[in-house]
Amino acid sequence: MIALTFATMALQTCSVVAAAPPFDDVRGQLPVRGDAARGAAKAAACAACHGAQGIAIAPTFPNLAGQSPTYLYVQLRAFKDGARDNAVMKPMASALSDQDMLDIASHFASLPGKTGSATATGDSRGRTLFHEGDPAKGIPPCQGCHGADGRGPRPAPASNAPQPAWSTFPALAGQNAIYVAEQLKAFREGTRLGTSNDKVMQSVARNLDDADMQALATYIATQ
Amino acid sequence: MREQSMRKLAPLAVAIAACLFGAPTLADSSDSARVGDLQYGNALDPSGWAPLLWADPRGFSWLHSGMMRTPSGVLYPYPPQRDDADLHKSGDWNWWGLLQLGYLHVGGDADAEFFRRYAGWKSGAALGLFALYAENPQTGQYVEFRGSRLSGDDQYYRLRAGQYGKYKIEAFYRDIPHVVSTNAYPLWNGAGGTNLTLPAPLVPGGSTPAEVAAVEQARPRQSIGTTRTRGGLSIESVLYKNWIGYASVSNENRNGTQLWGGSMFFNYSLPNNGGILETVRPVNFTTTDVSLGLRNVGAVWQFNAVYTGSFFRDHKDELDYQSPFQLRNVAGVPAADIYQGQFSLEPDNDYHNLRLELSRSLKWNGQLSLAAAWGTMRQNDALKPPVNCTGIGGIFISPQADYTFNCADWNTTAALSRQTANARIDTGLLDAKITLRPTPKFGWHAGLRWYREDNKTNYLAFNPLTGQYGYIAENGAQGSIVPGELGIFDPRNPLYWSYVTQVRSIPFEYADTILDTGIDWRVSDDNSLDLTYSFDRNQPKHRERTLVNEQRLELAWVDRAIGKGTLRFSYEFAYRDGGPYRADPYQAFYSTALPGFVTPALGNVAFTTDAMRKYDLSNRIENKLRAIVIYPLGDTATLSGVVYATRDNYGGAVGRQATRNQGISLDWDWQPSSLVSVSANLGREDSRLKFSNVADFENLPGQVGRDDPSLGGPLYPFSNLWSGDDRERDYNAGVTLRRDLGHARVDFSYNYTYALGRFGFAFAGPDALSSFQQPFIDLIGTAFPDNHYHINTLQLGLDFTLTQTLGMRVFDLYETGNFSDWHYLGLQTDPVLLHKVYTDRGPQPHYGANVLGVMLNVKL
Repeated sequence: MIALTFATMALQTCSVVAAAPPFDDVRGQLPVRGDAARGAAKAAACAACHGAQGIAIAPTFPNLAGQSPTYLYVQLRAFKDGARDNAVMKPMASALSDQDMLDIASHFASLPGKTGSATATGDSRGRTLFHEGDPAKGIPPCQGCHGADGRGPRPAPASNAPQPAWSTFPALAGQNAIYVAEQLKAFREGTRLGTSNDKVMQSVARNLDDADMQALATYIATQ
Repeated sequence: MREQSMRKLAPLAVAIAACLFGAPTLADSSDSARVGDLQYGNALDPSGWAPLLWADPRGFSWLHSGMMRTPSGVLYPYPPQRDDADLHKSGDWNWWGLLQLGYLHVGGDADAEFFRRYAGWKSGAALGLFALYAENPQTGQYVEFRGSRLSGDDQYYRLRAGQYGKYKIEAFYRDIPHVVSTNAYPLWNGAGGTNLTLPAPLVPGGSTPAEVAAVEQARPRQSIGTTRTRGGLSIESVLYKNWIGYASVSNENRNGTQLWGGSMFFNYSLPNNGGILETVRPVNFTTTDVSLGLRNVGAVWQFNAVYTGSFFRDHKDELDYQSPFQLRNVAGVPAADIYQGQFSLEPDNDYHNLRLELSRSLKWNGQLSLAAAWGTMRQNDALKPPVNCTGIGGIFISPQADYTFNCADWNTTAALSRQTANARIDTGLLDAKITLRPTPKFGWHAGLRWYREDNKTNYLAFNPLTGQYGYIAENGAQGSIVPGELGIFDPRNPLYWSYVTQVRSIPFEYADTILDTGIDWRVSDDNSLDLTYSFDRNQPKHRERTLVNEQRLELAWVDRAIGKGTLRFSYEFAYRDGGPYRADPYQAFYSTALPGFVTPALGNVAFTTDAMRKYDLSNRIENKLRAIVIYPLGDTATLSGVVYATRDNYGGAVGRQATRNQGISLDWDWQPSSLVSVSANLGREDSRLKFSNVADFENLPGQVGRDDPSLGGPLYPFSNLWSGDDRERDYNAGVTLRRDLGHARVDFSYNYTYALGRFGFAFAGPDALSSFQQPFIDLIGTAFPDNHYHINTLQLGLDFTLTQTLGMRVFDLYETGNFSDWHYLGLQTDPVLLHKVYTDRGPQPHYGANVLGVMLNVKL
């Protein structure tokens, strides 16, 4: 009877086990390089939203120009394998081979990035959060991973300590504020949680309230 | 630049690690309101968390996949795995739990004492671990419970609850066994109680060794040991702004038995006399500790005030026992029929301490800390009569040499000068520390500490019924064997007016002042130096020295420039000297200081040789050296080594001469992934104690020169010198392996320890031995036989998952031991030697014990 009970419990437990959602651990990701010229030829469909020069046609879409190629590649891969959920990008990425993704990523990375609107104020909340964080609220400064100028990390010479996959961290400077704020909310609410970098951002964003997110997004857009 | 970058990243990494892996659930941080132990575990699971410690392949941080090392280079272990699926939600609360329950079968020589020493192994059901954790992220409230039970003598349970930033509560209950012997055969009935009586047909004071031996052989085997049962409760809460109050109470009961003595004087020189008895005493203590405190932690000022109290209660305050052997006086008419002995066991005592601490931040990253404390220790138990014999004791030789005494004059509390102990020691403490760090590369610190013990105890051993001073030795046995050695002084009686005996308690006390100052200097990015000087001025009272000074210089060097490794090197030099040394500072507390004491024509026999230097007061030169190397091997392994040595050389021709201690250990750890961890360790330690002594010239006490304390004099001639050389060498080695196969995990460990003890001695001449030992000088040789202690422990375990919530662990622990110890030689077969009776026959020379366990793990 005991054996039967255990067996029943086991079956019940197994029956409710759902398949784990796709997850990309990018901590071991090395910097990538594709063929930018070939990528340009493959990126025609992208221009519809992200612009022919990688500057998005609307602020709800991200600018891709000047972005880290590794970051872009990792994101395309995440859209394809489902680690990052987006109804528009999923079918677009699914049609790409790995080489296609490398080439497209290199193409957009090679384009000149958007400069800020030069309206960044001297002492805004967004600037403070970006450069200094808010230790009392458990918010680390963004510049630690995204660079002091927001143009991506500038890794120091390697030490004995294990290093993050710096190339997978995106540049932020000049990114569209609406897009940034939406992504921060997605991190906080757990709807963008498919990569190891998303896990990092989740632990940061969970301490940001809506006002902080907006302030940050605004500051980043003006960088 | 590198430093700057890492500084930015560090808080992020810590925050992420803490958030993702639920660090608080496994943390055992210390705090002021703690009750109980820092570490909870048992022989089944020393870590206390083993069923939860499946390594998380995700590693320690989402930032990078590599494992971090400590600042000195040791790899952190992989964090324990926490699957989101294990976390249940109930309203605002998240919780998880684990229950490990199973069956243990203990086989082989399960009663071997080294196998059971601190482990309550028992065949039957066992609770491996019950762990439950719940938290409310909205409010910061949490509850954590964990418990384990091997048997009724070996279990623990702990509950923690609180609200982050507001309050916390902790409660615990724990039983810990401490087995001293499982091979004891007490001769007496009533072992564990306060009255040991001889079993029939033995007659107290009237049995022969053969009769005792016959009865002893039939006595049942018993275990000797105690179980500590502890429980406690503490609370800490924010009262107002930065003001935090805390309180705790804990209670410990120690119950069981302990091997004890029972001398009825002389057996060695007079083989058919007296008795040397190894009895069993009861242990039934309660210690209750309380604390009540208030602290304020501000940005500039910090304040702490705390009262602590400790209350010890002994529920068995005496031990009575019967001796089977008759006393035979060396001269005169046998007068005594003394066969009973009595010990007064530990008295109840109370301890109170009030401590105030104040600390202030200073410029230059400085801190000034001041502390003051006052304490008092008191005991005022009712005193027991000096003897519990009846009738007449002592020896009658002639009317002029009547050494008898009437027990009735001493077996009543009316024979005491006071009815209660009225013992009291007050303590005082003043402590000041200052640290300054004007630059990141340089710091300075200094401290001044003053501590005093003021002993107010003053007991005079005076019997108002007889007008005599002193204390009847060994319930009258000694004075019933040797005329005049009753232990009393009587200024009215020529038989006792020259008798030297202690008549007052000695109120040992001291004041100690320590001044220290030092610097720490970061010479370069990879090198730092610490240098500290301290001066310790100790002023004991009623001791051989009233002033002892010790100066100490400590140098520490940390170097991180040797490849990727870290070298920590430290050296200490200390020099101790002091004021004049008096070999006999106790005159004021002996009968020699009382009015009416008559100094004999030959003088009093010297108390001890004036060449004797007690080790805590003698001059000493100390050198200490320690080097630690931690060397990373690639990203996944660490090799570390420790070498240390201490040399102490003492002054004085008689007493402790030197101690030596040195050791080396090597450790290798390898964790190529979360699925595999391997470690190996090897160590050796040597220790040595050398001392010298001088035997008094046995024939001299009746002759001229007996009052001469000088070494080389008539009482302590050089030919009576002897020395001892006590050496011990310990080896240990171990290997551990853990392999995670996904749904199963294999663990293996092997540990080996070996202790070799050697005790050698040397004599300047035969007179260094007692006269009754001298005929055996050739047999005595120059050393006792070596002691050997080997223990091997092998454990193999297999964990496997059955479902997402069910798992199983099967393990086998096998332990063997081999011992050879001269202390117990012959006692296994012959525990009664002449008038000596031994209870403990020693550890089993060879044993092999096994524990097989099947445990079911249920994730709740």
